[in-house]
Amino acid sequence: MLSQNTHTGIMVALLLLIFAASPAEPQNSALSDEAQKCLSCHSQHGLVKTFENKDTLVAYVDSEKFKASAHGSLKCSDCHVDFAGEKHPQRRFRSKEQYKTKSAMTCRKCHRYEQIKTKSIHSMLLSEEESGMSHPCTNCHGSHSIMPVSRKTFKNEEQYCLKCHGHKLNMGFKSGENLSLKIDLSLLQNSVHKRLSCSDCHFGFSHSQHPQRNFKSRRDLSIANSETCRRCHFDKYTKTMESIHYAMLSQGYLNAPVCTDCHGSHSILHFGKERTIIAQRCRKCHTGIFEVYSKSVHGKALFDEHNQDVPVCIDCHTAHDIKNPLTLDYREKIPDMCSNCHANEAVVRKYGLSTNVVKTYLSDFHGVTLSFYRKQREEFNKPARQIAVCTDCHGTHNIISTRSTDPATVKANLVRRCQQCHKDAAKNFPDAWLSHYEPTLANAPLVFIATMIYKIFIPIMVIGITLQILLHIWRYAVNR
Amino acid sequence: MTDHKIKRFSTYRIAEHWVHMAIFIVLVVTGLSQKFHSLDVSMWLIFHLGGIDYVRLIHRYAGMVFLVITALHIIAGIVCVAAKKWPPSMVINKKDFSDAIHNIRYYLGVETQPAACDRYSYKQKFEYWGVLIGSVIMIFSGLILWFPVFVTRLLPGEIIPASKVLHTNQGFLMFLIIALWHIYNSIFSPEIFPIDKSIFTGSISRDRMLREHPVELARMEGRPIAMIDAMHDK
Repeated sequence: MLSQNTHTGIMVALLLLIFAASPAEPQNSALSDEAQKCLSCHSQHGLVKTFENKDTLVAYVDSEKFKASAHGSLKCSDCHVDFAGEKHPQRRFRSKEQYKTKSAMTCRKCHRYEQIKTKSIHSMLLSEEESGMSHPCTNCHGSHSIMPVSRKTFKNEEQYCLKCHGHKLNMGFKSGENLSLKIDLSLLQNSVHKRLSCSDCHFGFSHSQHPQRNFKSRRDLSIANSETCRRCHFDKYTKTMESIHYAMLSQGYLNAPVCTDCHGSHSILHFGKERTIIAQRCRKCHTGIFEVYSKSVHGKALFDEHNQDVPVCIDCHTAHDIKNPLTLDYREKIPDMCSNCHANEAVVRKYGLSTNVVKTYLSDFHGVTLSFYRKQREEFNKPARQIAVCTDCHGTHNIISTRSTDPATVKANLVRRCQQCHKDAAKNFPDAWLSHYEPTLANAPLVFIATMIYKIFIPIMVIGITLQILLHIWRYAVNR
Repeated sequence: MTDHKIKRFSTYRIAEHWVHMAIFIVLVVTGLSQKFHSLDVSMWLIFHLGGIDYVRLIHRYAGMVFLVITALHIIAGIVCVAAKKWPPSMVINKKDFSDAIHNIRYYLGVETQPAACDRYSYKQKFEYWGVLIGSVIMIFSGLILWFPVFVTRLLPGEIIPASKVLHTNQGFLMFLIIALWHIYNSIFSPEIFPIDKSIFTGSISRDRMLREHPVELARMEGRPIAMIDAMHDK
């Protein structure tokens, strides 16, 4: 008996709960009398409000949508306060914008400032409102079709986030800077990350979470956000940790580039085969060097002829583990960098360039010394001095073709380069270097002839001596 | 009588040979390891001598010593021969060429006796002049390579790589002459093995004089060469 009563009691309680909950369910709400009255006109198409600046607003209200909205059970005059009862005043507004701002003020009657401020997205907008910008609630939430954002169904996370971030949104920083948080969907969809969801990168943000983060400056935000890249691109991340950029950043030089400075953020693209883009990225900070480079034989070919064989910044400096180029370590690797192309027939042959340039350098005084210094440092940790490498004669970013200049100028320039180490070098001095040519009778007769003489004389001498010795031994053996 | 020692070299010559030998070894070690720098043994040597800079420094200072002793040798030779203090025993003459041909014929079994040589055999003379001329080439080309900036003030730039060719090849050639010819003749030749000590002790046995320098021996002993030949036959 007792238990039956208890059961019935629970059933009743549950039913009561359902009924008690039902008024909150907009689907079940009935339109108020007043709303029905208003909708007798406003549910018809063709009602248009015109503002002073000729903006127009359709005064049509979809009764079904309104009924389904969170405010479906409210009276029209609850929001449109001027229109209570029989009143239908003719109001004048300068613009649609002014109308929207004014109308949205009514929301605050129920949704108090203190209450809405607790959501970080609101607090940001509200703080902007204080500085005179207007963010009508209806921009994001809609008006007659209003619904709590969390109850809406979105196809994907992007849509969810863009519900707000598709609009003009600003983030303020302590430094006084502002950052637009409006995301252009088309950029996202063209990026290599188009299959990712927002929270894949914006870790910690989701349907339910939108933490309020405070940054001193825009730069701080960029640096913090770029940390997310390593969650997928860990190999590149570890490489950057060896770079001069990272070293500068960790020393507090915040303008040193992070991932997004070169790769972009929402518009992230494959660098692919388009090498001009690479040079352009570095230009953002290294403007002076870019200007010099773009006038060099490599830069001109890249920008004027769209030549994709020429080196761009990253071919010498690498992309992620960019080292300080002023170290001895870097300097000693320069001939290797140049030989990547200039010792490669497939690359330079078509421009009529010789692949001998690296070999002739390495077999001459400077090259041999460099090889020694490198080995000494690597294997025996012995000190090394600077020795002339490719760039000391040819220049670095300002490399010009020796063919585009007349030989006298090339030679005069070369003397000056020599003089940087060989202080008193005279104008004859550069001739001591055979300009990467193998000696021939025409370009270096003395060297050529001397080489030939020894090539013949040394074997003859060795054969003659050996024969003499053998004959002598043979005679000695016979005599015994 | 047969194995009594005959004085052959003065203390000056003995000392000169020692210094030349020491400097030559230093120059060969530091020079050839630079010429054949890609060999492992060269690398090992250079790094254990303190790195390429030290090796070059050692080579240059050894070269300075070499220059001094070579210059002294040449000057002393010219002055003393001109002043008739020393006999011109190193001068190559017609007999040296005929001796060379004679000895080749002897080796081939055409002649029964080797050529009878004077104080220095044709082999020694040719080696001496080869090495002396080579030394002069080495000294000049070495100096040019040491002071390229100065040299190119006076001479065309091509002289530098040409000197490098001369220096590296002539050095290698001299090394080969000494390593093959000189070392064979003073160490490994079956007639004098295990070693010809005359340049270190300054004296030579009469036996060897009789065999290798019969003409000089005859002159020293005041006998006609024919008698020496007869002694040889015994």
